[in-house]
Amino acid sequence: MKSYLYLLLPILLLSSWQSVAEEPSVSIEVIDPFVELHTGPGEGYPVFYTVEQGERVTILKRRPDWYEITSEYGQTGWAKAAQIARTLLPTGEPVDLPSVSYGDYLEGSFFAGFNTGRFSKGELDSAEVITFNAGYRWNSWLSLEFERSKFYDAEVRGRYYGGVVRFEPYSEWKFSPSITVGSGSLKISSQPELIPLDIDESSYLSLGVGLSIYVGRNFLVKAEFRDFKIDTDLDSERSDQWQLGFNAFF
Amino acid sequence: MATWLQRILLILLLSISSQQLSANEEADLSELDSEQFEVGIVTGFITVQDFSSEMLWGIQSTFHSTENVFLQANYFQADVGLSSFEQSQGALFSGDDRNFKHLDFLIGYNIFQAEQFFSGTQALLSSLYLVAGVGDTQFGGEQSFTTTVGLGYRVDFTRTTVLRVDYRAHLFDSSLLQEDDSTANSQFSVSLSYLF
Repeated sequence: MKSYLYLLLPILLLSSWQSVAEEPSVSIEVIDPFVELHTGPGEGYPVFYTVEQGERVTILKRRPDWYEITSEYGQTGWAKAAQIARTLLPTGEPVDLPSVSYGDYLEGSFFAGFNTGRFSKGELDSAEVITFNAGYRWNSWLSLEFERSKFYDAEVRGRYYGGVVRFEPYSEWKFSPSITVGSGSLKISSQPELIPLDIDESSYLSLGVGLSIYVGRNFLVKAEFRDFKIDTDLDSERSDQWQLGFNAFF
Repeated sequence: MATWLQRILLILLLSISSQQLSANEEADLSELDSEQFEVGIVTGFITVQDFSSEMLWGIQSTFHSTENVFLQANYFQADVGLSSFEQSQGALFSGDDRNFKHLDFLIGYNIFQAEQFFSGTQALLSSLYLVAGVGDTQFGGEQSFTTTVGLGYRVDFTRTTVLRVDYRAHLFDSSLLQEDDSTANSQFSVSLSYLF
């Protein structure tokens, strides 16, 4: 009896572990007159089945703007997220509250993206800039980001990296203004041959204003103007920068 | 002894199954597995203007933001042969400088989505897309700000395997052979990536 139980132990543990590791799924009730099932997660993929009002469906996976669902009768396909948001949980509550603002929705999420633009004043005038950035949205109105940039002029090459704090007080708006404060280190890797710039390896401080445009729930386009104050050996150098950027949240 | 063991097992199983129950009750849409990321490898050809056409190798990562919009980061490199000028006059630069290194950040848009039937009745999801973005190119001791535009086609061979075929043009100014010469460099490549 004893040895038999010992044999049983790993099997029981394994089976219970498997049931825990099962992927989460959500069961809901359709309240729209009908929900169309597409073969793939996109408007362009054909509709092959229609789920009727009152039917219970199980949600399996999520992709941007789409959910994969299985109907009561075992048909599996993709339904638009907007339709699923209007369905009901077993408790009778709506699945998603569509009135949540952009900023609140993104609270506590990570983001990454890129900007591109150019300097428009000072010694770095007309240098083109590429920036990779990644960060964390602390709450609806505050985010912290790390940026790493390279800039290119006819004779000048360089890079800078640093941190940016972004304040976005009206994040419930689709077109949402923001203020940024940034600081970091800037280095010129290739100087002009004849007259080198004052700037070589310096720290900088930047102040900026921007406009974020929320294109989707987790995607935004932003336009930004920043004023750079770059410390040089003698005094400080000012430069302006215009940028256009894209960020994805996850 | 047996009852002692049975008791432990019973407690263990009960606690696990009760956890399972509470997890099911609290499950909401944000806990669902979301398939938004892709990582993959790229190979193909790059034609470096005034130089040669060479095989490239690289890596790619894609993030799907909305149904149609995605962000993509690419890095690839290729060893470049001699230009026609260099073939008669000798190489202008050598070593690591002959390695064409390119990094870019692109934004993509799916313009046409459709099902593709390669064999019989098996429908594969596919999409034609446009990309545009900026990047950095290092070649011949130069670092250049690069603008990239392209057209691509993707087919999902399985739920998690995506094959892409891409044509891209990398535009940048180079002073290697002529002062401030605008160059257009074509990339033709395929990539295989894993979606998760």
